[in-house]
Amino acid sequence: MPAKAFLPQRHGVHRDNGNLFSMCILCLCGKLFWQLRAWLAAMSRKTETMRFLIYRYNPDEGKPPRMQEYRLDGFDSGDKLLDALLRIKAELDPTLSFRRSCGEGVCGADSLNINGRNGLACITPLNELGETVEIRPLPGRPVIRDLVVDMEQFYHQYRAVKPWLTVHDPEPETEYLQTPEQRDQLDGLYECILCGCCSTACPSFWWNPDKFRGPAALLQAWRFLADSRDQATGDRLAELEGPYHLFRCHSIMNCVDVCPKGLNPTQAIGNIKKLMLKHHV
Amino acid sequence: MSWRGANGLRPWLMQRLSAVYIAGFLLFILFNLAAAPVISFDAWRGWVASPLVNAAIALFVLALLIHAWVGTRDVLMDYVKPVALRFVLLTLFALIFLISLFWSLRVLFSVPPS
Ligand code: SF4
Ligand code: SF4
Ligand code: FES
Repeated sequence: MPAKAFLPQRHGVHRDNGNLFSMCILCLCGKLFWQLRAWLAAMSRKTETMRFLIYRYNPDEGKPPRMQEYRLDGFDSGDKLLDALLRIKAELDPTLSFRRSCGEGVCGADSLNINGRNGLACITPLNELGETVEIRPLPGRPVIRDLVVDMEQFYHQYRAVKPWLTVHDPEPETEYLQTPEQRDQLDGLYECILCGCCSTACPSFWWNPDKFRGPAALLQAWRFLADSRDQATGDRLAELEGPYHLFRCHSIMNCVDVCPKGLNPTQAIGNIKKLMLKHHV
Repeated sequence: MSWRGANGLRPWLMQRLSAVYIAGFLLFILFNLAAAPVISFDAWRGWVASPLVNAAIALFVLALLIHAWVGTRDVLMDYVKPVALRFVLLTLFALIFLISLFWSLRVLFSVPPS
């Protein structure tokens, strides 16, 4: 939760749109449990020495995955989890593998499961994590090595929603025009950085990653359905009909909970369902 | 999985509509019982026998079973991967729900209108 405080919420706070009443009671209890755990961790945190438990796996060694412990101190108050990982790699263990690039929450490379919650290491402040930090790869994805996972299925689902403008009319002489109101429809959608935190936190995606598009791809499906310039509404909706592509979503809202950009895939999915309904009656 | 009727929008819609009816019906029942508590078996029987209440309960049973069916189907689709086993379970639940429906309707319609 705190990680979001760093991001400018230019277009309003999308995470507030989550509707607790549309959530099943089990998910609600689960969320309360994790919130409680986070509060307890925050209460008992110390900043001096931190303990990192990191998932290690190297397929070439032929050994089962294990959790390895590292201890580090001397952090600055503003340090992020990525700083700790870089220091572990530089000072303690050069064999530790993880992805990262921008270091400021825009590339989506360093998504990890941090104390049981998906997030970006580069914008997760260390002082909000508690004394022991458990770091695992994104859940449900095949591990390539240590914290590096294979995201191919995730990208496949993204490609499957045809995330580009489709226009059947002759191209205009100048650029495509949109009113400011039409442009506003894309806010809260275009900001997605495809980090995969949402889809890999989604139980429906865990069970059917080959068939269910997942929250990230569905958010983009809605991004193009909501675009006044796009002319493939019928095709897009037809592609999403059926029991799997869209309707495996049961509004569990893990996606909304973890999105480091504060986006709301559940709401986008709801909008797609509503539009589909309109098209059918 | 693309047998007829196994689409996404219709079951989802049925789930939503049945949920609305179930919620409305429960409120209706609670309100009624609070306004006029039923104390004797005959009074209860008389109340259920009135055509409006009788039809409302029948619809409630139908909505409940539809809701249960969509939910069960969702759970089985998510968690039971072997197709044969899933088919057997789906059939089993469909049978249970259908029998429940006919049994409830029989009970309801056996109450003679007063
Ligand atoms: S709301 Fe839908 S997409 Fe989001 S985590 Fe839940 S099931 Fe997945
Ligand atoms: S919706 Fe959010 S969590 Fe999901 S991929 Fe986009 S930025 Fe990441
Ligand atoms: S390194 Fe780019 S998002 Fe974290």
